[in-house]
Amino acid sequence: MRAKQCALKQGFINCHDCGYLVKITQQLSSCPRCHSHLHERKPHSLQRTCALLLSSFFLYIPANIFPIMTVTQFGTGDAHTIAGGIIELIDGGMIPIGLLVLVASILVPSSKLIGISLLLLSVHFRWKINARRWTFMYRVIAFIGRWSMLDIFMISILVDLVDFTGVQIIAGPAAIAFAAVVILTMFAAENFDPRLLWDNQ
Amino acid sequence: MNSTSYQACPECDLLIDLVQPEIGEKIHCPRCGLLLLRPRKQSIERTFALSIAGLILFVPANFLPMVGITLLGKANTGILLSGVISLFNENMWPVSIVVFLASILFPLAHISLSLLISGHLYFNRCNRNLVSWMRWMHHLDEWVMLEVYMLSIIVACVKLMAISPLIIGWGLYAFIALIIVTALLTSSLDKELFWQRIEQLSRDNNHAS
Ligand SMILES: [Zn+2]
Ligand SMILES: [Zn+2]
Repeated sequence: MRAKQCALKQGFINCHDCGYLVKITQQLSSCPRCHSHLHERKPHSLQRTCALLLSSFFLYIPANIFPIMTVTQFGTGDAHTIAGGIIELIDGGMIPIGLLVLVASILVPSSKLIGISLLLLSVHFRWKINARRWTFMYRVIAFIGRWSMLDIFMISILVDLVDFTGVQIIAGPAAIAFAAVVILTMFAAENFDPRLLWDNQ
Repeated sequence: MNSTSYQACPECDLLIDLVQPEIGEKIHCPRCGLLLLRPRKQSIERTFALSIAGLILFVPANFLPMVGITLLGKANTGILLSGVISLFNENMWPVSIVVFLASILFPLAHISLSLLISGHLYFNRCNRNLVSWMRWMHHLDEWVMLEVYMLSIIVACVKLMAISPLIIGWGLYAFIALIIVTALLTSSLDKELFWQRIEQLSRDNNHAS
């Protein structure tokens, strides 16, 4: 393993879909192996990531303010926000599970929002960074995103099982906003091209 | 320069002169540390067998009751789809569609695609759709969330234990088995090998015709 060089500067494009290395020529616009469109870098990576990130920031507010589910017991309703549900778990002595939900529903989404913002800023303003460490951060962000769906799946299970005459659990409006935040940040991470971190070095 | 022996790292674009790794060997990118290649033993055969197992397990995991509770003398059990339907009936259709896609449709599509692809490669059959199946499977990877769903079942059970005794159904055991099979499937599927075999198959086919 030698040749510590950027493939693009050497005249090669790496296919996004199948990882095939293609020599840049004028007539070639799609990958000879998988026929997908060839791009030097993910197209409009910064603009798309930024748009998705801003929408998730915007939706993150209703996701935390409005109730994510309501427990009705014989006529009286008890609405929970995301944070309220965690506090209730910890108060009830279920500390490990409470901490798990805290990580999945609060720490992961907020650190993802901050992390992607930092990645965008560092590429846009060409910060002098340790690219290896930042690529690692990108990889962590891309990996943890899906685990925030925990709360959404849990609501679907609770809503389904706790459905008796008198006692019911109903999903609240924050569930839609929160699911949207999780999906939009996943798309944001997918659209960000970590190779941009290295191009600035 | 023969481009086939060269590869570029997908995350830092480093041009690497790769020596084809042995089975069991792992090749990481020297600059950013990304795992680039990890050839598996009998990748096609194992993927084929695991896809069949996954598809079979998919039926009990989806149709047998998973967990249930008893309250006020009445028992309620749920399957994957009943959660989706309950959300839909509460006018939470955006959430219900997300749950349906991530826990039922995408896992099913992913296993079916890997069965189709590995089956064609196993029997050396050429099909012009192989390329698009591979790309579909690649894009679905991230959206199959069975293991996240498993964690939600655990959290929900802990919450429900406080109000009622739990009923554990056969569906849950099938679901756990399905998660194990999909995890093995993901690790046995060597994408680079699959792509090379597909390329080779279509080349042989063009020569024959
Ligand atoms: Zn390609
Ligand atoms: Zn690399």
